[in-house]
Formats: sequence, C-alpha cells, structure tokens
Amino acid sequence: MSETLLFLIPLLPLLCAVVNMLFGMRLPRLFAEILAVTGVAGAFVLTLLFWGYAEGEGTRAVLFTWLNSGSVDIAFALNFDRLAAPMTLMVTGVATLIHLYAVGYMHKEEDYARFFSLLNLFVFAMLTIVLGDNLLVLFLGWEGVGLCSYGLIGFWYHKVENARAGTKAFLVTRVGDVFLGIALLWLFALTGTLSISAINAEASSLAPGVVTALCLLLLLGACGKSAQLPLMTWLADAMAGPTPVSALIHAATMVTAGVYLLCRFFPLVSLSATGMLAITAVGALTALYAASCALAQREIKRVLAYSTMSQVGYMFMAVGAGTVAGAMFHLLTHAFFKALLFMAAGIIIHLTGDENDIHRMGGLFRRGPVELFWVFLAGAVCLAGLPLTGGFFSKDGILLAAFTHPDPFYKVFWAIGVLTALLTAFYTFRLVYLVFAGEPRGDGHPHAIPLLMRWPLWPLALLGLLGGGLNLPAFVGGGERLHHWYAELAGRAVSASHVVEWALVGLAVAIAVAGWLAAHWRYRSYRPPQDNLVSRFLLSGWQADALVDRLFVRPFAAMARFCSIGCDRALFDGVLDGVARLATSWGGLIVQLTTGRMTTYLSAFAWGFLVLLGWFLLKLVNGGGH
Amino acid sequence: MATVLFYILGFILLAATLLCITRRNPVHAVIYLVAGFFALALMFYLLGAPLVAAWQVIVYAGAIMVLFLFIIMMLGLAPQETPAGPGWQRWGPLVLLSLSLLTCSLLLIFQDPAASESLGGYTLTPQALGEALFGRYALAVEVVSFQLLFATIGAYLLGRPLPKEEQK
Amino acid sequence: MIVPFGHVMAMAMALFVLGLTCVLLRRQILMILIGVEIMLNAASLVFVAASNRWQQADGQVFVIVLMAITAAEVAVALAMVVYLWRRRRTLVADDFNRMHG
Repeated sequence: MSETLLFLIPLLPLLCAVVNMLFGMRLPRLFAEILAVTGVAGAFVLTLLFWGYAEGEGTRAVLFTWLNSGSVDIAFALNFDRLAAPMTLMVTGVATLIHLYAVGYMHKEEDYARFFSLLNLFVFAMLTIVLGDNLLVLFLGWEGVGLCSYGLIGFWYHKVENARAGTKAFLVTRVGDVFLGIALLWLFALTGTLSISAINAEASSLAPGVVTALCLLLLLGACGKSAQLPLMTWLADAMAGPTPVSALIHAATMVTAGVYLLCRFFPLVSLSATGMLAITAVGALTALYAASCALAQREIKRVLAYSTMSQVGYMFMAVGAGTVAGAMFHLLTHAFFKALLFMAAGIIIHLTGDENDIHRMGGLFRRGPVELFWVFLAGAVCLAGLPLTGGFFSKDGILLAAFTHPDPFYKVFWAIGVLTALLTAFYTFRLVYLVFAGEPRGDGHPHAIPLLMRWPLWPLALLGLLGGGLNLPAFVGGGERLHHWYAELAGRAVSASHVVEWALVGLAVAIAVAGWLAAHWRYRSYRPPQDNLVSRFLLSGWQADALVDRLFVRPFAAMARFCSIGCDRALFDGVLDGVARLATSWGGLIVQLTTGRMTTYLSAFAWGFLVLLGWFLLKLVNGGGH
Repeated sequence: MATVLFYILGFILLAATLLCITRRNPVHAVIYLVAGFFALALMFYLLGAPLVAAWQVIVYAGAIMVLFLFIIMMLGLAPQETPAGPGWQRWGPLVLLSLSLLTCSLLLIFQDPAASESLGGYTLTPQALGEALFGRYALAVEVVSFQLLFATIGAYLLGRPLPKEEQK
Repeated sequence: MIVPFGHVMAMAMALFVLGLTCVLLRRQILMILIGVEIMLNAASLVFVAASNRWQQADGQVFVIVLMAITAAEVAVALAMVVYLWRRRRTLVADDFNRMHG
C-alpha cells in the first residue's frame, strides 16, 4: 500500500466533518451520527492497519506542496513514526468511544450537525498536530484545535457565559500560539526549514542561548494549549461545554497537545538544561496549584478540569526530567481514565437532573445504573494512584524520573510531585464520597440514560486499570514495552537501585492510601462546605482570573479607553469639530455683513471705491518714486 | 470777472448742497438743492454750455425736483421730521470715508499736468449742439425716448392702487 | 480762460462726495435718491468741463442724455417710493431688510 494512503487517517474525519457541515441537517439524524462515528472509527482502523509503517524510522508521506516561494518549500507532509503512532491510536480510539457516547448524550440536541462536524473537525486538527511533519502543518492543526475548542465550548452559545468561556479559551491559548509562532519563525530563520525532523537533526548546531530561548518559547506555546501556568485560566471555565467535549478535548487530546509538542521537539529542548528545568518547574507548580484548587471546587466537572491541569503538569514534569516515554505513558493512561471520569460525570449530571454541584448530589450509589459507581471508582483509583492501576505506574514512573535526575535540584520537584499526589488522592476520594455516599441532597429529576452513554465506559475502565501493562517497570518484572518501542525517541532511561525504587513505590502507596483515608474520615458522612478565606481562595483558582484582569485586561481597557475617548474623540474629533466650529463662527461673523439693508451695501460700494482710489494713489506714488 | 463769478457760484453750489444733505425736513432739503442747481446751471453757462444750462433749470430743477416735492407732499412726509439717527457713531466713519475719498481724489486730480490747463473761451451754439445731437447721436436720442416710454409705463404700473386686501 | 481744468474737476469731485455722503448718511429713501441726484449732477459738471476742454459738443450731448435718463429714473424711483409707502407706511431704508442673512 502506498504511503500516501496514510493521509486517509486525518482526512477521513475531515471528510465526514465537511459532509456533516454541508448536509448534516438535511440528512436523517441517524445517518449524520453514523457518518460522524465512522469518520473517527475509520481512522482508528486505518491506524491499526498501517501500524507497520511506524516501525523503524517511521514513514514520511507527502500529499502536495503547500507553499513554494523562493527559499521556502513547505509540503503538506505526514510523519508516521514511533512517537506518533501510539498517540494517533489513542486519539482515534478514545475519540471513537466518545463519539458513541456523544450520540447518546446529545440525543436531545437539535443542532446535531454542527456538533458532530465540529467534533470530527477537531479530531482532524488533532491528528494533524500528531502526524504533521513540519511546523506549519503542526501549526495548522494547532490553530484548528483552538478553533474547534472555541466552537465546542461555546456550543450552547445562547447562554452568554458559554460563549464567553469559549472566547476566553481561545484568547488565552492564542497567547501561547503567539509564542509558538515566534518560535516557528525563528526556527525557520535559523535553519531555513520547517521540517521537524530536520530541525531536530540540526538542533545540536545551534547556539546554547538560542536553544534555551527556543525551548522557553515552545514551552509557553505548550502552556497555552495544555493549560499550564501562566496560561491556565481558561480550562476551568471551559467546562461550560457539553460533557463529551470536555472528555475529548480537555482530558485526552487538546490539553495533551502541548506535551506532545515538547516530546516532538525533545532533541531540541533537551539540549538546554535551563529549558528543561523550566519545563519541570512549570509542570510541578501547575500540578500543585491545580490540585490545591481542586480541593475546594463545588462543580463536578471543575474538579475534573483542575485534576486534568494537575496531571498534565505531571506530564510536563516528565518531559522536563528527560523521559519522553514516561510522559507519553502518563499521557496515555491519563487519557483513558480521565475520559472515563468525564463521561461518568456526564451520566451523573444526567442522573441528578442537570445538577453540577457535588454538594447537592449524593447517594448515587443506589440511584444510578449499577455499573456507574464501579466505573467511576475505577477511574478514581487510577487518578489517585492506588497500586497496580495504570495511573499508579505512570505517576510513579514520573516521580522516579524526577528523583533520579542528575541535577539534585530536581528532588524539590519530586517533593512537590509527592505532595500533589497526596492532594490528588484526597480530592479524588472527596469527589467519590460526596457524589456517591450518603443520602441524596439534591432534588433534581433524573433523565433517562441511553445505552450508548453507558457501555463506552467499560473499555476505558479496563484500559485504565490494565494500562500499567504498557510500560511496566523492570523492577516489578515488566518489559517496559513503551520505552522499548520509542527506542531512541524515549529520552533518558530511568533507573535506580532496587532499594530506591521499592522505597518510592512504598511511599506512593502510602500516600495514596493516606489520601483516601483522610477523605474517608472527612467526607464519609456529609458535612456542608466551609466558606472561609482559604476555601474561597482555592475555589477561585488562587484568584487567577482577578489577577489577569488586574494585570492585563484593565490596563488594556484603559488604553483602549484612552485611544478611543482620549485620542479619537477628544483629540481628533475635537480638532475637527474645533475647526468646524471656528469656520462656523467666522462665517457667523461674516454673515453679519449681509444685513439685507441697502445702506450697508452702499457703504460697501463707497469703501471699495476708496480702496480703488487708494490703489491708484499708491501706484502713482510708487511710479513717481522711480 | 468770469473767474470770480465761477468761484462764487461754486461756493454757492457746495454750500447749498451741504445744507441740503444735512436738513431734517425733506422739503427744505429739496429747496436748497434747487438753489444749488441754479448755481450749477450758471456754471454751465460760464463753461460755454448755454443750452445745457437752460435744460438744467427746466428739466432738473424744474421737473425732477418738482417731482420730488410732489411725492413729499403726496405722502405727507413734511413737516414730519425723520427720526433721529444713532448719532455720531453712525455718521462719524462715513464722514471720515467721504473726507478720505475727497482727499484721495483731489490728490489724484492735481498730480495730473492736464489739471492746470485752463478752460473757457469756448461756447457751443445751440445750432452746433443740435447738429451733434440729431446728427451723430440720433440713435442715442431714439433710445432715450424709448427709455422714457418704459419709464412712463413702469411708473404707471407701480403707481396703480393696490388691491383692497393689501392696503393697510 | 476762466478756471483751470483741475479746479472744475475738484469742484465736481467735492459735489460727488457730498452726494455720496448723502446717500450713505441719510436713512430715508427719498434723501438717498436726492443724494443720487447730486452725484449725477457732479457727473454732468465733469462732462461739460470736458466738452469745454476738448472743445467738442459730445460732452454736452451726453449731459442731455444724462438728464433724460435721470428723469426716467426718478419717475420710476419715486413710483417705487410711493408703492413702498403704501405697502409698509415707512420710508426708512433700514426697515427693508428681508433679504438679510
């Protein structure tokens, strides 16, 4: 099979998106939904079929020459290599399950064509990021996911808050995109090419300062899409979108695009120790920040959103600590259990009659479908990192990488990661207890749960629980398959003495259990939420929105006001109006000459006659003087 | 002798005109003007235009000024005095204007060497005038007669009584 | 040889200026018309003097024409004065300012 058939992987969802966009509302609903699911499922199947192309050096495929002008020659090219293949498989697989879930979730939605076409378009854009061979194609996908995210977050745009949340997401990620754009242009100026593999190959020939700067720019670009500090304010509000959107975009795919970018450019960014330190610091601090905020959130999806932010912080920590395999491992397991948790949250919201506040839930252990509690618990234990789950192994791998880093400063990050793990366990079980335990506290009427919303959760639960098998560490007898699959792309090999490894494992287990016990002790029987300074501070995300407002929005608004009222209205309009008024006033003076009285005009004649005579006289005098 | 007479007549003319323009009573003004016109007619005679002098008296002083008097009497404007003006603020600049005009023009007149040529010693006989008038300027005479016709018609039209509802 | 040409011109100019002053100064339309008459007479004086200066009849012919025209003009002007009087009962020139602005 020719390698250009690889293009079918991203193009199939695109095609279905376009068809749904143009004809979706005219097709029967079932047809549109089947088309949407087929788009992604087909991509999944194709990825499996073409899996062999990814082995070895990978396969590069060119569809057409996109830009060709002078020294710029950019082709629309794909690179299906060992880094891209698992990511593609995860994206298409999870997307398929979520599409099925969405068919059930949105079955009452009238505007289904727009939803499914945006969802498919998003998958296309994400696949373009994953598979793109040069920075421009990647940037195309980058912007595409931003656009689709905006469209999907603000899907129910008739409510202004939803539209505003979409706009906020778009604008904040845009800031990151600017930095990515700068990095893109700079890389082009330095290397004359935008091909990722070429840049990675030439990375070692660049000056160290330049490499650090590029690393920081790429980091900032990644922060935007992955909702890390300082560009994280959009993720919590993005929960205004439908739950399938949250599951797909803000759990599994778009927020991991930043991690993927850094992994793609790992040969470049790993050359700069400062850059790696920055990446790890950003990841660790965000993880801690987000975990602390999740402790106080009241809406179920906001807890999960901050949890996502925190886990993506772990992935950044992994990249910064030098292990791409560890980052991708956590990325994959996190995709499974976080999508699972979001989809379960969607079911929970349906059951409580569109109630989002966990303090008004409760007692769902008996009320909902029988498997709801168990799948949610499966996702929760993965998130909390209870032993033997996929989440446990991936998180432990990251902490090990941080601990065993040659630079002893990284132990600080390790400590932050451990503390965050404790908080993670705590807030996870807080969520479980508040939602499922006790008596129902709300009074919403449950909606019926379609079957399609229920059974996509099972595969994800299994994958989450068993996902540890992807990269089981050696000291427990595993084969580290993911690490070996990535081969030279895997980054630093993480290993330590068995004692250290078992000690860290023991610490991780102890922390997870301690978090669970603390949550059990505090939340098993319900207590109303506290409203003190600390909880309000955490609830508002450390007042991040207020800070951004004060630092950027208000000065900008003031400047806009100055330009609009101060400059435009006062200065320009003032000058023009002043000139007009001056002309009018002079005109008013002059119009007094037209009195309509004959005597005035006769006087004018006489004065003019005097002027004439005077001129003759003057001419006479001058002429006589010569 | 004629020179002295000329200057006396000139003085009378200017004085009469000055008095004319400063009278409040329009009848007085007209009378003074008539006196001035008499003086002017005699000046014409001295300058060798006897026929013109005669016509000045007959037409100007005799017809036109009388017409003025007719209108004044008809409208009953005298002895009604015209309302007083705003005073010297009004006629100050105008007098200034007139004086400057006079000065400028006098300067212009006397700088020309032709001004010192002396007149006199020439008298146009009525016969010569008639030959010129009806010879070279016959067309002008016809046109002027047309104009008099137009004026007559116009004056008649303007003088028609107003329709009843427009009269105050 | 009676007077220098310039003196006659000066006298005519003085007469003209007097007439102009009358036109500008007086507020009644009748007096303005009288001022116009004075100015016309000044012009006549100039023509007669010129006729004498160049010893031709043309100046005096023009004086005759001038007189005729003046007569016509005065007739129509006074008819207008009568009309204005009948319409507005005032002959103050400043009162007729409906064409102002």
